[in-house]
Amino acid sequence: MAKTLDQHFDELRGTRVWRSIFRSGTGSSTLKRALAIQQNVFLHLFSTKVRTRMLSFSATWYLGTLTLGTFLILVATGIPLMLYYHPSAPQAYSDTKDLQFVISSGMFLRNLHRWSAHAMVFLVFAHMFKVFYRGAYRTPREFNWVIGVLLLLITLLLSYTGYLLPWDQLAYWAITVGSNIASAVPVMGNKIHFLLLGGNAVNANALLRFYVLHCMILPLTAMFFVAIHFWRIRKDGGLYSHASEPATVRANSSTIVVTAKEGQ
Amino acid sequence: MPDEIETVNPDDNVNRRQFFTKLGLGSLGIAAAGTAAFAYQFLDPNVLYEPSPVVNAGNPDRYPLDSVTLDVNSGIYIIHSQEGYFSLSAVCTHLGCLTAWKPELNMIACPCHGSKFAVWERANLKPGDKIEGPAPKPLPWKRVWLNDDGDLLVDRSTDVPPMQRDSFVRI
Amino acid sequence: MAESKDFVAGVDSNAKKSPRRIVFITRRTSAQVKVESENLVQTFPEGLFRSAVAIQLLAIALVWIALIFNAPLEGVADPSHTPNPAKAPWYFLGLQEMLHYFPPMVAGVLVPGLVVMALIVIPYFRVNIEADGLFLKDRQRRQRIFYVVAIALSLFLLFFKVYAALVPTLIMAGVMLLAAQSSPQSPSAFRRYLAAKPLSYWVMTWFLFELVVLTAIGTFFRGPGWSWVWPWQGS
Repeated sequence: MAKTLDQHFDELRGTRVWRSIFRSGTGSSTLKRALAIQQNVFLHLFSTKVRTRMLSFSATWYLGTLTLGTFLILVATGIPLMLYYHPSAPQAYSDTKDLQFVISSGMFLRNLHRWSAHAMVFLVFAHMFKVFYRGAYRTPREFNWVIGVLLLLITLLLSYTGYLLPWDQLAYWAITVGSNIASAVPVMGNKIHFLLLGGNAVNANALLRFYVLHCMILPLTAMFFVAIHFWRIRKDGGLYSHASEPATVRANSSTIVVTAKEGQ
Repeated sequence: MPDEIETVNPDDNVNRRQFFTKLGLGSLGIAAAGTAAFAYQFLDPNVLYEPSPVVNAGNPDRYPLDSVTLDVNSGIYIIHSQEGYFSLSAVCTHLGCLTAWKPELNMIACPCHGSKFAVWERANLKPGDKIEGPAPKPLPWKRVWLNDDGDLLVDRSTDVPPMQRDSFVRI
Repeated sequence: MAESKDFVAGVDSNAKKSPRRIVFITRRTSAQVKVESENLVQTFPEGLFRSAVAIQLLAIALVWIALIFNAPLEGVADPSHTPNPAKAPWYFLGLQEMLHYFPPMVAGVLVPGLVVMALIVIPYFRVNIEADGLFLKDRQRRQRIFYVVAIALSLFLLFFKVYAALVPTLIMAGVMLLAAQSSPQSPSAFRRYLAAKPLSYWVMTWFLFELVVLTAIGTFFRGPGWSWVWPWQGS
């Protein structure tokens, strides 16, 4: 008797090989669904349950999720772009032109990378303001807010280092202006400027440094802190929901909390 | 008749959840296939920044009769024999090392694993045939011709059958 | 509903011997933690699928934009020729606008540095934890402080001719004045809303407003030599 496609898949899922790879399998029981999160090396960063209230759009506008989405798009487009890009001046410019006019899908990848980068900077700011306005930085979530500010700085640095890579006039002078601001730091300014560029001007060394920063150091740092950021959401009690956590401890007539003073 | 019940074949029944699951997985499949196609096109370069396979070997008078000349930059031998000018690839067919012309041995030898190739026709050996060594194939003959200026040109990307009339350039 | 009593608690200075937090519970009641337990659902599929859909919608929008609009690419970098104007990426244009008024040490190092530090310490200050409306308590005193700060800041900006930052400041001051005159019993919903906003809200909103205005000016209203241009005048 001819079996349907579904029946074939079910057979496949019953095989020993399949079960050795995917341990728990799918299912609609609560246990199976919890295991799908808990047994997955990437997903077990999240807790197996979330507050229903926080799933609504108006709670967070999904800004944090969207920021992560832009980051994933940037990694997915950035790596192919690296295959055709030589971080040496002025070869970098020819490579950017090649990406736009010669390489299949090159124009699309470059565009997507650029606009996702702008979107990510915008979304990161929006996420920060939304978290602030709904009060989700309050105890016990203070440190997660600090990690968030750190991620904001990393995002800005990622965008800044990436800006130089096309090696066109826009890139060169934007970075020249920006790095000269760095030299305005008192005492260490010039040294910082020198170390940042690997020289006194924006030249081949600067391009290579910015390339390594942009493609390796900063993305790894970002992923590291994003993981901590997600972990802290979970450990601090899940996404902040006003209904379950009052902003201040309120004293009422039947309960008084007193903190005793030292001495007498 | 009012009692007639329409029988529906149970295998035709697809409920809404199954429909949307199929729709979703189907679209995902199409998207994945499309992505794979575009990814392959992206990875396959359209333009190569490599030198042209066609080499200009200059005026044929540079190559006296019975001479074997190795051009290390382009990896070819220009050989002027009784039958005319022809070209052998200098890249060993074993693992790609650059071979060398050994006039004292009257043969081409590869320094990497000791393959040796004939250069002149004799007994049952054609130029390029392997004399000894681990090389699996003889050195290929490359297409030669004269351009309008009278220069000898070699196309490294085109193999020609050995010892054929058109594999030589006669002046 | 017990009558109010005064309690004096004496404790040992040795923290190990005597507790530091004491709850006084009146008779026939119990200590209650006023936390409501909320509805929970499974992350998979509820949470994950919603996030997946959100990211997919984002991806579709970005792909559309990427197919239609091209990323800019000007001529090859030429150290001997500075384009006019030489603008930083858009998220730094607010900074660059400030560089027009203040020296680099102030606009480039001090202000961003202070802003970042201020952001980081927000959750550690009690004033940001309390969510009471700014002018609902001590109205007169707080209004006086508000006037002093607003006028001082405006004069400072006026002195340095930073009109770009002055206008948003004045607008915010105006809105805050309205809030100062409002209360939870105000006639309009908007005024009731304003009355409930705490100081942290006002400071952050002022910052957001300034950020948007300065960035917009740097993007659209600045031309060659960083001179003022009207965006519709074309280049």
